[in-house]
Amino acid sequence: MTRILLNSRLDECLGAWRSAGFSVFAPVKRAELTRFDEVQKAAEMSLDIVMPERTIKDHFFLQTEPLIKYTITKQQIDTEEMVPPERKRVFFGVRPCDASGLDIDDPLFGWDYKDDYWFKRRDNSVIVTIACAKADDFCMCTSVGLAPDTAKGSDLMLHPLKDGRGWLVVPHTDRGKALLEPVAGMLQEEAAETAPVPSIPAKFDLERVTAWLASPESFESPLWREVSQRCIGCGSCTFLCPTCHCFDIQDEGDTYSGIRRKNWDSCSFAMFTMHTSGHNPRNTQSTRWRQRIMHKFNYYRGKFGVNSCSGCGRCTRQCPVDMGITETLQEISNLPK
Amino acid sequence: MGLQEQYRKEAAELLSSGEVKLVIGYGEGTTADRRRPVFVRSAELVSRLVLDASGVANLSAYLVPEGLLSDGKKVAVFLKPDGVRSINILAAEAQLDPGQVVILGFDIEGGQPTPLPGRKASDYAPLIESLKGSGLSPELQAEADRLEQMGAAERFEYWKEQFSKCIKCYACRQVCPMCYCRRCIVDVNQPQWINTSSHTLGNFEWNIIRAFHLAGRCVACGGCDRSCPVNIPLRLINHRMAKEALDTFGHYAGESADQKPVLATFRQDDPETFIL
Repeated sequence: MTRILLNSRLDECLGAWRSAGFSVFAPVKRAELTRFDEVQKAAEMSLDIVMPERTIKDHFFLQTEPLIKYTITKQQIDTEEMVPPERKRVFFGVRPCDASGLDIDDPLFGWDYKDDYWFKRRDNSVIVTIACAKADDFCMCTSVGLAPDTAKGSDLMLHPLKDGRGWLVVPHTDRGKALLEPVAGMLQEEAAETAPVPSIPAKFDLERVTAWLASPESFESPLWREVSQRCIGCGSCTFLCPTCHCFDIQDEGDTYSGIRRKNWDSCSFAMFTMHTSGHNPRNTQSTRWRQRIMHKFNYYRGKFGVNSCSGCGRCTRQCPVDMGITETLQEISNLPK
Repeated sequence: MGLQEQYRKEAAELLSSGEVKLVIGYGEGTTADRRRPVFVRSAELVSRLVLDASGVANLSAYLVPEGLLSDGKKVAVFLKPDGVRSINILAAEAQLDPGQVVILGFDIEGGQPTPLPGRKASDYAPLIESLKGSGLSPELQAEADRLEQMGAAERFEYWKEQFSKCIKCYACRQVCPMCYCRRCIVDVNQPQWINTSSHTLGNFEWNIIRAFHLAGRCVACGGCDRSCPVNIPLRLINHRMAKEALDTFGHYAGESADQKPVLATFRQDDPETFIL
């Protein structure tokens, strides 16, 4: 016997989680944008989309994060650390690729220095993922070793039922099991059939790609220029990516008081590697695009044993010039042996 | 012969005769309804060029990167009338020599690309004159009218909600032919004039600075709007600024290559005392 959650009882569940002290976040469409935001009712959710335009990363690694407040007087310098609120959150209706993104980034934020801003939020959040019932032409999770129903990074998996009445509920972590306690009475035991997982054909051969990237002569390959010719150098692919994590520290204010912030940054920007001297080691878009691909599929896996890509496809789906990771990896994959 | 075939043939001739060194056009995209910019440097590759109703991007922004036109050679580019207006502005602002741009002109009517015969920007003067003051699509116009009807406080709330979505990816800037500054004011960091933070205040700063820089220069190609990954209706702001330039100064951006930039010129008999 398995446990299922019916659509009709979702509002009760949300209520029970809120009574247990959780804020519930789910995909919504607000101001013409699909994204994760706090909800009160199931009716506010947009669960019938391939994926929201923004990732859940935004709620763990903030676009702009205040770190410290400072005030400078003649006598002294005062600083006040701004730590993230320890609010308990449920993320409901996460896509497997977005949940995987969190798991991919965990080692980065905990490697030599444990980033409290990331981990305080991670530790107080429960990820409830819904396995995909549909995919589009940009989805490529299967090409990077994941799947539309992968549980990586998820505390609880919901598998849509074939008859559309609700979801099969499968906890994957203790946090996921604990989240079921307040809603135990709202689930029912039933042997129900789950909907088929969409088939997403592999778009490239990842092993070939990573082997080529790891080979030293690939660094100067003419391929980089060819594939990035039309790149306009905006940061949309990096900012919509569930795993991109680069940031910049900025002081905002004046000489006497202000806030130090951690702001998203992007390797696509010319300013990203600009030295104080004016020298820029990545002074063309092709070198910047190479960095992005190398970082994701060579350097990151070298350091943490995992690719920094979960195959959501947003980089291409929302690219102003229809570029993205998929095409580059296809080109690499198709290079003559 | 369809327009696509005609322009492939013409592109091949331009390349093989050495008339142009490069053709910038549209190519097939990831999905059937998407087109992506392509760069064709040899006559053998013109079959990569696609021209249909999905070719909506204004490709003129690809002409301004440093170095492309500095050898004096010509480049051919697929352009709609909005793109031709961009060429005129870039010429008026001394960013390129319009003589180096061969226009493969077209427009989209009734879901089909239709040919425009002009090959030089100056050939388009009568057409651009006839477009003067033409507005938005009915759908966008309705939204623009709705905003006009709002009181200032309500309109401020509207833009606050829209700008709060901004992630400062600068896709609007990068795709825009008018945003050719080698170093945008938001990237100047010694000193850092503009905060890089993408909070609501910072987003207002960025979007309003850009709107002002485009006043009297925007040709309403809609590139910023289409590129915005968070769906901010940027076209509405730029359209409002263009309307202001037209109503106040009779200025329609990109009419000719020697048109004076509206906010960078003055007349000695201007009644405003601050002018001289």
